[in-house]
Amino acid sequence: MSPEAGLYVHVPFCEALCPYCDFAVNLATEVRRSRYVGLLLTEISLRGRPGDPFDTLYFGGGTPSLLPVSDIRRIVETLSDLGWLRPRSRVFLEANPEDVSEASLAGFREAGVSTLSLGVQSLDPESLRFLGRGHTRDEAARAIALSCQAGFETVSVDLIYGLPGQTEERLRKDLEAAFALGPDHFSCYQLTVHEKTLFGRRKREGRLEEASNAAQAALFRLTHQVLESAGYEAYEVSNFARSPEHRSRHNQKYWIHAPYLGLGPGAHSFDGRSRAWNERSFFDWERRVRRGEIPVAGREELGDEELLLETLMLRLRTREGLDLDDVEKRFGVDLLDLNRALIDKGIEDALLVREGSWIRPTLEGLAVADGLAGSFRLSPDPWKAARL
Amino acid sequence: MSSELVRNFCIIAHIDHGKSTLADRLIQKCGGVAEREFRDQILDSMDIERERGITIKSNSVTLLYNAKDGKQYQLNLIDTPGHVDFSHEVRRSLMSCDGALILVDASQGVEAQTLANLYVAMEYNLTLLPIINKIDLPAADIDRIREEIDSDLGLDPFEAVPVSAKLGTGIDELLEAIVKKLPPPVGDPEAPLKALIFDAQYDSYRGVVALVRVRDGEIAAGQRIRLMHTDKEYEVEEVGLLQLKRVKTKELVAGAVGYVIANIKTIRDIAMGDTITDADRPATEPLPGYKEAKPVVFSSIYPISTDEYEGLAKALEKLALNDPAIIYEKDSSSALGFGFRCGFLGLLHLDVVQERLEREYGLALLLSAPSVRYRVTLESGEVLLVDNPSLYPDVSRIARTEEPFIKASIMMPERYLGPIMELCRERRGEKSTFHYLAQGRVELTSELPLAEVLFDFYDRLKTLTQGYGSFDYQLLDYRETKIAKVDILVNGEKVDALSQLVHEDKARLRAMHYCEKLAETIPRQQFRIAIQGAIGAKIIARTTINAFRKDVTAKCYGGDITRKRKLLEKQKEGKKRMKMVGSVEIPQAAFIAVLKSDES
Repeated sequence: MSPEAGLYVHVPFCEALCPYCDFAVNLATEVRRSRYVGLLLTEISLRGRPGDPFDTLYFGGGTPSLLPVSDIRRIVETLSDLGWLRPRSRVFLEANPEDVSEASLAGFREAGVSTLSLGVQSLDPESLRFLGRGHTRDEAARAIALSCQAGFETVSVDLIYGLPGQTEERLRKDLEAAFALGPDHFSCYQLTVHEKTLFGRRKREGRLEEASNAAQAALFRLTHQVLESAGYEAYEVSNFARSPEHRSRHNQKYWIHAPYLGLGPGAHSFDGRSRAWNERSFFDWERRVRRGEIPVAGREELGDEELLLETLMLRLRTREGLDLDDVEKRFGVDLLDLNRALIDKGIEDALLVREGSWIRPTLEGLAVADGLAGSFRLSPDPWKAARL
Repeated sequence: MSSELVRNFCIIAHIDHGKSTLADRLIQKCGGVAEREFRDQILDSMDIERERGITIKSNSVTLLYNAKDGKQYQLNLIDTPGHVDFSHEVRRSLMSCDGALILVDASQGVEAQTLANLYVAMEYNLTLLPIINKIDLPAADIDRIREEIDSDLGLDPFEAVPVSAKLGTGIDELLEAIVKKLPPPVGDPEAPLKALIFDAQYDSYRGVVALVRVRDGEIAAGQRIRLMHTDKEYEVEEVGLLQLKRVKTKELVAGAVGYVIANIKTIRDIAMGDTITDADRPATEPLPGYKEAKPVVFSSIYPISTDEYEGLAKALEKLALNDPAIIYEKDSSSALGFGFRCGFLGLLHLDVVQERLEREYGLALLLSAPSVRYRVTLESGEVLLVDNPSLYPDVSRIARTEEPFIKASIMMPERYLGPIMELCRERRGEKSTFHYLAQGRVELTSELPLAEVLFDFYDRLKTLTQGYGSFDYQLLDYRETKIAKVDILVNGEKVDALSQLVHEDKARLRAMHYCEKLAETIPRQQFRIAIQGAIGAKIIARTTINAFRKDVTAKCYGGDITRKRKLLEKQKEGKKRMKMVGSVEIPQAAFIAVLKSDES
């Protein structure tokens, strides 16, 4: 039985564009904001009714908290009325600290939001300035505290670390300030400098120097140590939960190859075999939707080898790891037999542990998950076979 | 044509002393070629020969010269390779001559190869005529060269003909000297046929074209012939002269140099130096000169991409049609896949073969470290010849190992004697002696293990003498030695292609060198990589490549997954060119860096 599907709604505008962000976002002009909900509801109607209701609904962005609460409620209600959601479906919403008030929190709760994810990024004034965020440390701290009292099932805080020149001490303080406020969940992302961002430009021009691999590795370990010792379990490379029920039910779907449908500009969908992506620019997305077309811009069909590679790459990002029996069942490939030397070496070097048919990455293994995933042989080497 | 009007001769010279240019000039002067057909250095027909300025395969040409005495002479110029690797070919060429031109560079003077080949020419009783070339150079010092000709070569310096092959100066005088001073061939046209095969070419339409010197008797189309060493019989289809192109004639008589086509399928069917005789009226004794060309340097050749194995097999097969000296057999390495174990006459021969395979057949190759052939006597008394480290027996079974020694002759200006003596000592040289030649020049002889010469000896010599040193060698004998098999281990797994046989005293250094090269070229991986050099179970060198600490991307959600997977796919594609040793990926570049570093 395939896992239950997730629904993602991309809200593609922000008050300001962050210098590190490469998502599909636009400045939130009044005109765009006012047209967005209508267009989204049109896309919903164009997509037609799904087979089963979605298990999760995730408002991501961009800045979903820029939407009037009434729009959020309208979307959730429409989806429920159409049978896309059922009562026990979870609703996730990303919010910026500056949009958080007692009133807005109450509104989100009322609209059915169960998990609030706060884009705090840091509680260190210097880091906030560097990241070009629109809130201060105090605003962010207040937003976390308020959210934690607003009755959400889960309050999550997003942080960014690995900034140029960031010391372990500074990061430790940042993390301690955040967990002291008592959120249920953290997503801690190491800063990635993407080419087509302001940071990318600065890097090209030599005005921004990324932290060294060794420094990043040290900060990665520190993040894990500090949060684990504060009682947050790392269940993925960048995600920590105070207990299993606070893990992100939506995001986990990406890592287990569950199907998902993405609505809005640039959103991706996956049905178990093929992946499709929407028009990325608001303009193109709007044009397609207005013409009555499903606004898909591209699609790829995944073969077994591609699915298997993704399985490795995604599963090795999670502490749960990879079930070799499951892989053999799904793909007919005995990974253990093909990669015995690699797996043995991984265990010897304490990157992996084996428990029954499962291979799980250790913390050190998580840090090099990409290298590990890329090292696995996925099919018998025709050369080797010929020699036998 | 009466044999009185025939002259068979060759040119002996050190590399770069202008032998091919002189040959070109003689050909041109005798009208052997129309001007527009003339390409520089016609005798060096392979691209590589032309580029390196060396002659590998000897060629021959017949020139018709109208001498001042009013008679037309037939001059057979037999080309000789200049390099020591091809000394068998040199000998065969010399044996087919009656005289030799000894070419000396007017500024460089007498060099080691000149001397080495001169001794061989003397063994065959050739009449020698010294030539001083490059007299047009500003640095030319004809008087000094005459002195060297006298004291180093022991020839009459006043017989020497000064020429400039480049400008054509002195060529007329040279041609007259060839006619006057070199003897005509002697031989009995009535005696049973004896013809020496001194070279052969392969023609894809006609099969083997044997180049011969007829000593006695005559050979003509339709005749049944027998090759005395291989004891095979053939019927002659065609004989003729080589005048750059083949020119068919009725017969070749005693004293003649020409070609024979006799429906011989491959070069391997004949032996160089063999004697052709008449099948019905055979000679009793073959001519001396048959000696098997034995390879002395061995290396395994692998295609960089395993799917080029078939291509390599075909290329070697074709190459061998023209080059009987190369021997090869299948080999395989768990790190590098299938390849061939090849034997060569020397390092230059190896180089030339590699270059031809890469250039003419478009192959990308990896060669294992060159090795000599060791003679291993087991406790059981059995004697093995081992050139492949993977076949080296376990030490416990070995009673004694011997390695080939050479006698090296090095000529250089006196001031470099110290450093070169030191180089020979470093290379385990024995019985190094020297004697003074003319004008501050020294000849150093030393008995060296051949294996020590395989690794950048020649380059070091050139560097230490600022290019003035020259080197020649001959194989001497086998001497007892202490050899260790050095293995290279990557995370405890042996990389068989990097194993080598090394003298015990050099084992640690060599192992360290390999370890360091690998550490420089194997990219960091998610594991710590231990690189070790070992003799048996004993570790003699080690380096470590530290693991990279973190590579995982921070975010991986809906839209990131495709992008991320494509990145991994690209990496995997790159890894196809890597070799797996245990869990470690070793890029081809690492093998290349390690194996190439022996040469420089």
